[in-house]
Amino acid sequence: MTSRFTFVACCAVYLMSAIAAIAQPSSQDERAGFDGLLRAGEKAQVESRDDEAIGLFRRALALRPESEKGLWFLGTLLYDKGQYAEACDDLRTFLSLRPDAGPGWAFLGLGEFQLHEYRRALGHLQRAFDAGLGDRKELTHLVLYDTAVLLTRAERYDDSVDVLVKMLANDAHDATLVEPLGLAGLRLPLLPSEIPQDRREFVDQAGEAVLALESQQNEQAESAFHRLITRYPDEPGVHFLFGIWLTQLHPELAIAEFEQELRISPSHVLARVRIAEQMISNGDFDRALSMVREAIRLDPKRASAHMLAGEAWIGKGDSREGIAELEIARAVDPSVSRPHLDLLRAYSAAGRKEDAKREKQQIDRLLHANSSTHLGEPGDASHN
Amino acid sequence: MAASAATVPASFETIAKQADAARVQDRIPEAIRLYREGTGLRPSWADGWWYLGSLLYDQDRFTDASAAFQHLLSSSSHRGPAYAFLGLCEYETGNYDDALTQFRAWAAAGWSGTPELRNVAVFHFALLLTRDGRFVESLYLLATEAKLGGDLPELAEAMGLASLRMRNLPEDYAPEQRERVWLAGTAAVYESRSPRDFARANEFADRLETRYRGQPEVHYFRATLDEFESNRDEAEREYRAELKISPNHAQALTALAAIDLQKADRDEAGLLARRAIAADGDYAEAHHMLGRVLIDSGDLQSGLVELETAKRLAPGNPLVHSHLAMAYSKLGRKQEAKAETETFLALKSKEYATAPVEDDSGARTARKKN
Repeated sequence: MTSRFTFVACCAVYLMSAIAAIAQPSSQDERAGFDGLLRAGEKAQVESRDDEAIGLFRRALALRPESEKGLWFLGTLLYDKGQYAEACDDLRTFLSLRPDAGPGWAFLGLGEFQLHEYRRALGHLQRAFDAGLGDRKELTHLVLYDTAVLLTRAERYDDSVDVLVKMLANDAHDATLVEPLGLAGLRLPLLPSEIPQDRREFVDQAGEAVLALESQQNEQAESAFHRLITRYPDEPGVHFLFGIWLTQLHPELAIAEFEQELRISPSHVLARVRIAEQMISNGDFDRALSMVREAIRLDPKRASAHMLAGEAWIGKGDSREGIAELEIARAVDPSVSRPHLDLLRAYSAAGRKEDAKREKQQIDRLLHANSSTHLGEPGDASHN
Repeated sequence: MAASAATVPASFETIAKQADAARVQDRIPEAIRLYREGTGLRPSWADGWWYLGSLLYDQDRFTDASAAFQHLLSSSSHRGPAYAFLGLCEYETGNYDDALTQFRAWAAAGWSGTPELRNVAVFHFALLLTRDGRFVESLYLLATEAKLGGDLPELAEAMGLASLRMRNLPEDYAPEQRERVWLAGTAAVYESRSPRDFARANEFADRLETRYRGQPEVHYFRATLDEFESNRDEAEREYRAELKISPNHAQALTALAAIDLQKADRDEAGLLARRAIAADGDYAEAHHMLGRVLIDSGDLQSGLVELETAKRLAPGNPLVHSHLAMAYSKLGRKQEAKAETETFLALKSKEYATAPVEDDSGARTARKKN
């Protein structure tokens, strides 16, 4: 974990100017004692006398328990020392006073990750981004990595891939991303540290394939997928992943892979969704509808299934049923552009100009804001 | 919580109003400071402690929140939910035994609180029951959550730990166990859904078995799923497979004895129940089963002894009382039969309001294993 700590001190400096500007009323004696202890603590920390620094910060905080500066110094130093539970306690108190401090949420989330408090860690790492991390590249990388692997563990695979693809944009050959990409691609809700020994090669091979797919290296992707499918033809998730790749280059071959996935994983919702998508592309609306109904039965809140049901109904000429399904898809996940695009067309065809105008505005907003990819789920504007 | 003007210093009233205003306006640090000040001025201010504890809890400041909620236990106001919050705070600060005590007090006080608090508290209560080796109680609580809340990954993890009879919290089990916990838990969530989704439960259970067929508890778990689905033959096969891996698995031995008894194979049922008792003499269900087998075989006196032992070990199990009532009745001991019937009916009516009482021996067995 050493690499995680090297930048802690640099980050610690970041908030100091802002914190120092917030003067807290106190008696002169107390202030002098507090300031002296804090200065001595900082000096001890700079001179690598960490235990002494911790003691001095604690004494300072006994005088002023709500000192932002004291809490920040102590929290980050404890994190640096691997004392995560204590670090998190101090950082929480700090953040109750400074909820705008992105790096504070980042260290809290990273600390909670180390304590295996994964749900809480994910929320706080995401809050770190909302609050902003500025241009701290190393901290940002750590936060993105932990966020991505936690999203996979929380079975939010496509969200995880979105984050990992953003990381690939910075370094397309980042080998540390292979395992997270493999886990997300195979839809296995494990952290890299939780991969059983006998699964590592499997996950790595899947990760290499997804890495090539996402970096659009088609030759590498092709050979990686063929290795994967040859070596692991009966493992859940493999044929679905292969089908996703085929959808991009040879869509006519993809359905067979999704169907094979359904033989291995009979309740695979997204395989059904992807088959339905291909059927709609082929104008086979009745079979698409049948397939997508099954997906909705298995997962009634799956927006992409409702979206494709809407597209199939409209393809069959029933715009009333189609619009109803598309509106469900929009309600379940308003952030995906494709249902809005479908609704824009459907409303326009039905002469509902105001509704169509509203969808157009929504699409413009989403296209401006959203550049996410969806490894498993259809639904982005590339459909157009 | 209005205070009389004659007895209350004006400063308390002012601070209380300011604290409430700061809370309502989401000025949380200020509200916390003011509630601290108010409760300092008037330690009997129950609403002050309540809001102070709740605000601190929402900020994940569990040690401070715990201290605030402690003050409510002597008050009649907010007492029930205070137990739940205290349990949650103790859990978060790693005081797991104390947390379990608080959750038990909360349950005894009627499980009160908002739906959100109840969900969180029930979930953590169940986690602690698993840690304590009370897997059946834990699964009972988690199954009610599964019916309400779908297939949250956290629920699957919790159900996976209990289903595989692992005395662990989600935060503290070995990373290499994660895949099997996920597979078992996901199967258990689908099995518990309303309506039950046996197809998906079996899909994940199949994956679990394919990957981990040689590991302890996997076949036992599969057998319990099969029993839920009324696949008695499959269940029997799985129990026997578990016994090849874990020959002294008292629960599998007892479950297999029950299947034998249904098939009127009293000889093997008796043998298996005795093996279960030999493996874990404190396992009430094994004594219960042997008692039933003996009574079914006509050995009323010996059967009664086993049932009395089961009753001593698990006084809250209604079925033990029911079988005791039958045994006493056959022996002509009418008064005792009547008393056992009354106990059975009383316990049965409570079953709908509370989690089932698992006998202590489950926990003791698990402790021995660990």
